[in-house]
Amino acid sequence: MSLNRREFLELSAAAAALGLSGPSVARAQSADDVIRIGIAANGPRTSDPNQTTQGSDNWATEQMYEQLVRPEDGDFATTPDKYVPTLATEWTTSDDAKTWNFKLRPGVQFHKGYGEMTADDVVFTYKKAIDDGTNKTIMSNVADVVAKGPLDVEITLKSPDVNLLGTTIFSNNTCIVSKKAYEELGAEKFMTDAVGTGPYELTRFDPEWGSAMKRHDGYWGEKAKIGAVECVYIADTTARTLALLSGNVDMIEAVRAPGWVDSMLQRDSSLQFDMTVPGSFNTLHINLTRKPFDNLKVRQAVMYAIDRQAVADALKPMGGFMAGLQPDFFPAGFKTEALPSELQYKYDPEKAKALLAEAGFPGGLDFDSNCSQREDYSSTMLIVQEQLRAVGLRMNLIIGDHTAYHADNRSDKNTLAMHSSSYPPIPTQLYFQQLSSKSEVKADGKGGGNYSHYGAAMPGIDDLLAKALMATDYKTYEDTCKEIELQVLRDLPLIGLSTLSFTVARNGKVNLGYPVKSGYARWRFHRATKSA
Amino acid sequence: MGKYLAVRLADSIPTVWLVLTLVFIAMRILPGDPAIAALGDMALPEQLAEFREKMGLNVSLWQQYLNFLGGVLVFDFGKSYMNGAAVVDLIARNLPYTIELTLVATLMGFTAGVPLGVLAATKRDRLPDTGVRVFSLIGYAIPDFYLGALLLIVFALNLGWFPINGAGEGFVDRMYHIFLPALTLAFVKAAFIGRLTRTSLLEVLGKDYIRTARAKGAREPRVIYRHGLRNALLPLSTGMGLSLLATLSGSVAIELVFNRPGIGRLLISAITERDYGVIQGGVVVFALLVVAINLLMDLLYIVIDPRIRVQ
Repeated sequence: MSLNRREFLELSAAAAALGLSGPSVARAQSADDVIRIGIAANGPRTSDPNQTTQGSDNWATEQMYEQLVRPEDGDFATTPDKYVPTLATEWTTSDDAKTWNFKLRPGVQFHKGYGEMTADDVVFTYKKAIDDGTNKTIMSNVADVVAKGPLDVEITLKSPDVNLLGTTIFSNNTCIVSKKAYEELGAEKFMTDAVGTGPYELTRFDPEWGSAMKRHDGYWGEKAKIGAVECVYIADTTARTLALLSGNVDMIEAVRAPGWVDSMLQRDSSLQFDMTVPGSFNTLHINLTRKPFDNLKVRQAVMYAIDRQAVADALKPMGGFMAGLQPDFFPAGFKTEALPSELQYKYDPEKAKALLAEAGFPGGLDFDSNCSQREDYSSTMLIVQEQLRAVGLRMNLIIGDHTAYHADNRSDKNTLAMHSSSYPPIPTQLYFQQLSSKSEVKADGKGGGNYSHYGAAMPGIDDLLAKALMATDYKTYEDTCKEIELQVLRDLPLIGLSTLSFTVARNGKVNLGYPVKSGYARWRFHRATKSA
Repeated sequence: MGKYLAVRLADSIPTVWLVLTLVFIAMRILPGDPAIAALGDMALPEQLAEFREKMGLNVSLWQQYLNFLGGVLVFDFGKSYMNGAAVVDLIARNLPYTIELTLVATLMGFTAGVPLGVLAATKRDRLPDTGVRVFSLIGYAIPDFYLGALLLIVFALNLGWFPINGAGEGFVDRMYHIFLPALTLAFVKAAFIGRLTRTSLLEVLGKDYIRTARAKGAREPRVIYRHGLRNALLPLSTGMGLSLLATLSGSVAIELVFNRPGIGRLLISAITERDYGVIQGGVVVFALLVVAINLLMDLLYIVIDPRIRVQ
């Protein structure tokens, strides 16, 4: 067969057109039955919920795994009675809050034909988390986990924990995995091919591209409405934004910087934004070992100089106000007006100047502080810098790489160290990590995340924290946490700057099936629908 | 020739060793802790210590360095701190995408750049020449990541002609996905090659043998392409080597903007996460590619100009 020039050109054009249209057609055909989310990270690290170290990976694990109990979709359980039965149908606790018994849901099937979930799988999961999990802190109070029957599990604790459902049971590390699958596949393979019970099961794990899941047809509850979920990793902000605007993905993790939501809405007014409240807790550690910040008057000056409402407003709609260290609807959280007047710290730059003068600094003072270049850190700290400057607290902000910033903080190299972290409605977690003397930062890097040295440089909240952790009833726990809040507001080693919602920008055609109100930075898609 | 190759390869060993050593030192000087990057800033001291031990970060720097060099000799760079995958596997998965992008961009750049250079040289000081020079100036001045974002917005987002990200599967789909990123790199390359071709050809066109060819009545295209361009190839091949290396390094930003897999994107994420093994492995591969390209260019000289002989 011979081709003349015209035929060759025509064939080439047809082949090129086919090449160009092929992928688009394929996308269009499957688009209605798949939800794609653009994840703000370079690639997934693992699909084993026990081994996750990267928050973004939880978007996939959230679809594939379940715990014994969970809160309602799109929310946190702010008190223990708000958890709903999931893989456990009922549970009881002993009077001393040290023995917990869970009755498991019968007929729960693991993915990929690995059979029915039993108490052995639960015991296996918990022991794996205790021995080899990435978050051993949440397991440190567990003395033993025992199968009392095929569908009956007993957890005994070393100390009472009235919040066990929040501290340990509803956690990534305690997502129930299949013992049989783990033993068959081995630990390494399980990292990229884990088997759970959730509404979606893993079909592809690609460290460069992301994770793909399909509907788990053997799911015990209401089956997922959309057939597949894909978590596509797009670290670059521009590329991720363009992927959403072009329809390549249905939703993306947002950039948590002032003005981002408005700029997106200008581009596409039909976009929806799902936000968790509170999201991250942005706190400011004041290093008590650095003069003159050991002086309470100077710390009070800092507190009066920072207009926390303005900080929250600048981050709107993602920013939120905290009167203390907890949002007001969390346990131990206060509304401003509920605090004693001297602890309300309403923005008052004149009072800040007066306090500085009383402390011996009528002309103000100069100091250095490090800050991460990440948008949420740098934008917040630049606002704080300006507010402090207005009263004479001249903070020389040294903005650097995010990883280096955290390493420096952990080596006690900062004066005013901002920290951003997500916490469930378990106040003691924040107190332990950021305020207890056990977590005091050390210059050799072997300490913890208490960058203020509270409890070591001055008496802290260790006794109150111990009392809260030993409480055998929830009221005592909550009341003690409130005492801690007040104590911290009096001593000011740590300032609650603002909350910052986790935000996802979503194509208006996707309906999640429930409103996102609160919770961790991940939510399930099993109730989602998509209109054409 | 075999002896020449062996000598050249042996010559490159100190260069590669120096690069490896510098990267090893640079990573350790750089502030930041891989354990904190992997486990989070609120990880317990015991967890961090356990991680460091597991990843061999608790031994002395000398021991780490020797372990690293020992690994390089057998092409084993250990495992990624982040996902536990073998670094060699990560590189093997990503390298083809970077090479593919570099080659396609080079091909596109040369296909556009050489004719533009010829046009400018043959129409010296006239409108086409001015046009090519302005194009070259823009090509030099515009940052590739900015041009990439611009092309993405126009051709992928607004017109919807090309995919917004990814690398595609299968040959046709991969070529479809590679077009815009390769075009971005090719734009800069075409500007460079166009200018180089113009300069080189202008110099050759002033030689006596060109005048002789014209005096003998050779047709102008034959004078330009057979006698002129062929002799202008030697400096052009030097430029090609440099351009290839520039494209290789330029692919780092482009892979990020277009969210394509590749060694560049792998390295950037590894640097952010202080994933030493991946950084070291990636740099070794880059260093070897540079050595290979330089060697290839030297061999190409011999092919292009038979007067050059291996000594």
